[in-house]
Amino acid sequence: MTAPPDKKPVRYEIAASTIRVDRAMQQFIKVGGISIVTAVFAIFIFILWQILPLFAAPKVEEDAAWSVPPGPHAAMGVDEWSALAFFLDREGELTFFRIENGAIHRQRLPLPDGERMTASRYHPKRQDIIVGTDQGKVLFVHLNYRASFLDGARRVEADVDASPALLVGAPGHAVLDVDMDGAGGQKIAAVIQDIDGRRTLTAALVSQRRTLIGGGAWRVTKQIDLTEQLAEPPRKALLNERADSVLVLTAGSKIQYFLRTGDELNLVQTFEPFPPESGEILADAEYLFGDDSLVCWSERGANVIFSLFNQPGKGRIFGKTKTFPALEGGVTGYAKSVRNKAFLLTGPKRASLRFATTEAIRWEHDVPYALQGGFIGPKYDSVWLLDVANRLHRLAVHDPHPESSIRAFFGKIWYEGAAEPKYEWQSTGGADEFEPKLSMVPLLIGTLKGTLYAMLFSVPLALLAALYTSQFAHPNFKRFVKPIMEIMASLPSVILGFLAALWLAPLVEQRVPSFMLLILALPLSSVVFGALWNRMPYSIRKHIRQGYEFIFIVPLLAIAAYAAWKLGPLIESMFFVARDLSTGQPVADFRLWWVQTTGLPFEQRNSLVVGLMMGFAVIPIIFTIAEDSLSNVPPSFRSASLALGASRWQTAIRVILPTASAGIFSAIMIGFGRAVGETMIVLMATGNTPIMDFNIFSGMRTLSANIAVELPEAPHHSTLYRALFLGAMLLFLMTFFVNTLAELLRHHLREKYKAI
Amino acid sequence: MNATLEADPALDIVIDVKNVSFYYGAHQALFNLNMRIPRRQCTAFIGPSGCGKSTFLRCINRMNDLIDGVRMEGSLLLDGMELNSPHVDVIALRRRVGMVFQKSNPFPKSIYENVIYGLRIAGVNNRSVLDETVERCLRKAALWDEVKDRLHDSALQLSGGQMQRLCIARSIAVNPEVILMDEPCSALDPRATSRVEDLIAELRQEYTIVIVTHNMQQAARVSDWTAFFFEGKLIEFGSTEQLFRKPVNQQTQDYITGRFG
Repeated sequence: MTAPPDKKPVRYEIAASTIRVDRAMQQFIKVGGISIVTAVFAIFIFILWQILPLFAAPKVEEDAAWSVPPGPHAAMGVDEWSALAFFLDREGELTFFRIENGAIHRQRLPLPDGERMTASRYHPKRQDIIVGTDQGKVLFVHLNYRASFLDGARRVEADVDASPALLVGAPGHAVLDVDMDGAGGQKIAAVIQDIDGRRTLTAALVSQRRTLIGGGAWRVTKQIDLTEQLAEPPRKALLNERADSVLVLTAGSKIQYFLRTGDELNLVQTFEPFPPESGEILADAEYLFGDDSLVCWSERGANVIFSLFNQPGKGRIFGKTKTFPALEGGVTGYAKSVRNKAFLLTGPKRASLRFATTEAIRWEHDVPYALQGGFIGPKYDSVWLLDVANRLHRLAVHDPHPESSIRAFFGKIWYEGAAEPKYEWQSTGGADEFEPKLSMVPLLIGTLKGTLYAMLFSVPLALLAALYTSQFAHPNFKRFVKPIMEIMASLPSVILGFLAALWLAPLVEQRVPSFMLLILALPLSSVVFGALWNRMPYSIRKHIRQGYEFIFIVPLLAIAAYAAWKLGPLIESMFFVARDLSTGQPVADFRLWWVQTTGLPFEQRNSLVVGLMMGFAVIPIIFTIAEDSLSNVPPSFRSASLALGASRWQTAIRVILPTASAGIFSAIMIGFGRAVGETMIVLMATGNTPIMDFNIFSGMRTLSANIAVELPEAPHHSTLYRALFLGAMLLFLMTFFVNTLAELLRHHLREKYKAI
Repeated sequence: MNATLEADPALDIVIDVKNVSFYYGAHQALFNLNMRIPRRQCTAFIGPSGCGKSTFLRCINRMNDLIDGVRMEGSLLLDGMELNSPHVDVIALRRRVGMVFQKSNPFPKSIYENVIYGLRIAGVNNRSVLDETVERCLRKAALWDEVKDRLHDSALQLSGGQMQRLCIARSIAVNPEVILMDEPCSALDPRATSRVEDLIAELRQEYTIVIVTHNMQQAARVSDWTAFFFEGKLIEFGSTEQLFRKPVNQQTQDYITGRFG
């Protein structure tokens, strides 16, 4: 009677339920592990997905073309909804062209009887046409677009409101060039006329009489003849919305800048955008959106931008800030966007959409037709090109983030009004003309700065505490201290931030010298205690069990801290005496002293406060991990070292610490990771100013705090929204990079000090 | 003290033990020991586990201080200097009394640095002194030929027997008077054991060696004197030859013949 050979003896059989549970758990763990990896990876992909559009090239494609009334056109444009285009011919006839069906509606500009239009200027932002007549009159015509909704469909209608004609310059002489601009009740106007073979330039201040029912009639309050001050005969005048200056392009290649002070216009600058040695001849210049920068181009298509900024000893004048590649074949037309700092240059066979802030060509292409001009759709969603055969081509533009580029985020950019190119973060401003400043560099610097100060404070303290607890203190003491430190690690950082902002910051501000003394006094008193303790007679020492020496040192430290705190004001009055700016009397005030001596700012919510509080948040983490790794050093190393006559300190430093170095390194790196990502403390305890210095008494803005601060202001899918994701990606990469590096080093250390 | 045999009074005594008792907290581990350990000879402590022989060994270099709540009574003289006194400089004592542990414990450093660790912590940094010490000690530990080409490699790459010989070299580098060995061969294979035993036989010409062992053949092979401990008491102490051949005490007799232990 033998069992069949394939039947296993009973003792090898495993219960079916055990196998089932085993397999189920195996699958469950597998699924869990894969899900976690997938989730982390998915977050990475999602963030990447959000930031990729920032660096995508714009899509510009022709989607329609129409034949329009023949030119030449003095001005053209379209309404906000791109429904009704207009063309102004040189005779003063306005033609509205309905995009949807090609319907044409003509209207003459309401000029004074018997007068002809001889000059015009179109301001696309307010849709005003400035007209000059053959009799020397100036008027402005507002294109009044109105949208009405009928049966759910939008219908755009337009009519014109014209101001009464104003007389600027010499009556009876044709206006050769005209401009008028200004906001509110104040405008400035300029006309160029030919009087007996001499070109004159007359500027006029125009204001609106206020009446009880609202705006009254416009009248010229002052005329100023600028002809005498011109270096060369004028050919074009450019005015701005602030009505504070007159720019004159002369017959040569010069531009003259007159600045208005009260009722006076003073010549402050004469400059040549293209110096004579460059061989370029100024063709024309136009303001960019915001009227702070002047786009200049030469007859051969060279393209530069001049901006107003303060120059040392010269005041606020124009200086060259940007140079673009030349548009091959020269420039036939210019148009600016009224949404951002983009502008369109058209050449005979080529069109170029450029972005001034980032000095970037967004799109440039040859077109299969000869161009006479073009304009940018008011929503920056289209470019309209008019060819010489009078066909109007509409190019759909999909460029949601024109202001972003690698350079905008990581390079220096010369913003309008700035004296030099710089790294700057300022995402939003008060006006439409504001250039968003999106440099990540100040945020990176801020992150590193906060982390640096936190680590400076926390690493020595946490490591020494871990060393003491694991190697010197009594094991009972350790059983008590370790859980307390672990509870400390779980303190919500918003509480720490709150304490830092409302309690620590004002305290530190009042008592900087005390804090400096504390930093000196505490380590010093410990060292002194150590030296004294060894000299103390045994009769005293024997009462203290080994590992309980801290019972003596704690009161000593308390006394040292109290003394340092009280001595602070004395030190302040001895060494930190500054001059009170209001009374001129010397006062003992560290804050004033710091500002006057170093020239650096002193802010209440500064890096010292953040370093202390963030250090407080990081200490428990570093302590716990470092203490674990120190305690895990095999006790045999300790015995071996002590048996060779080493002191406890020598043993700790020469054997325990190197053996535990891998773990200590991890501890520091995990602490670093926490400090880099820490948000609430820096958010609450710093001024959140994105500055670029390492001054301990000024604040910072970190990448993480930046996300928290700006999130409510970032519209979905806007450039700022994606820039915040870019910040998140940088944080992600930074921690990823640091952790990878740390892991490699840790691995190396672990191999080196591998215990048997 | 029924069965204690005093060593020959003519011998040069280095450690003189008088009425030593030892307590772990309330638990008494050693009872009133008396023993005289002669210079430049090898003395072995044998006895079953937990009989206090290792505890007593660690009294000699005060390694028991590391344990919380221990207390020693009686008098333990090293060359006439009282060791059971709070005024003893423990660090200096441990330089005079080296120790080799049961489990070899080289530091995770190079072979070279392991040997000179004792000198380094004493502040010796003279390169030629260190080089000379490394060669001398490794030669004495019969390790020089095996490691002379890789002195700066990690000590942790050595075999178990080499590591233990390295630990012996490390302990003789500070030139101690006494070397305590706590079951130095218990983790080694027979070949490595035999090399370490040869080494002990060499070293006892120069150093006083006190060795704790479970292996009675080993005690018989390497030692000049043997002490038998049982339940914290010194049962019998005499020359190795006499203790193994003609033990006076019945318990000793039972133990060495393998009736218990």
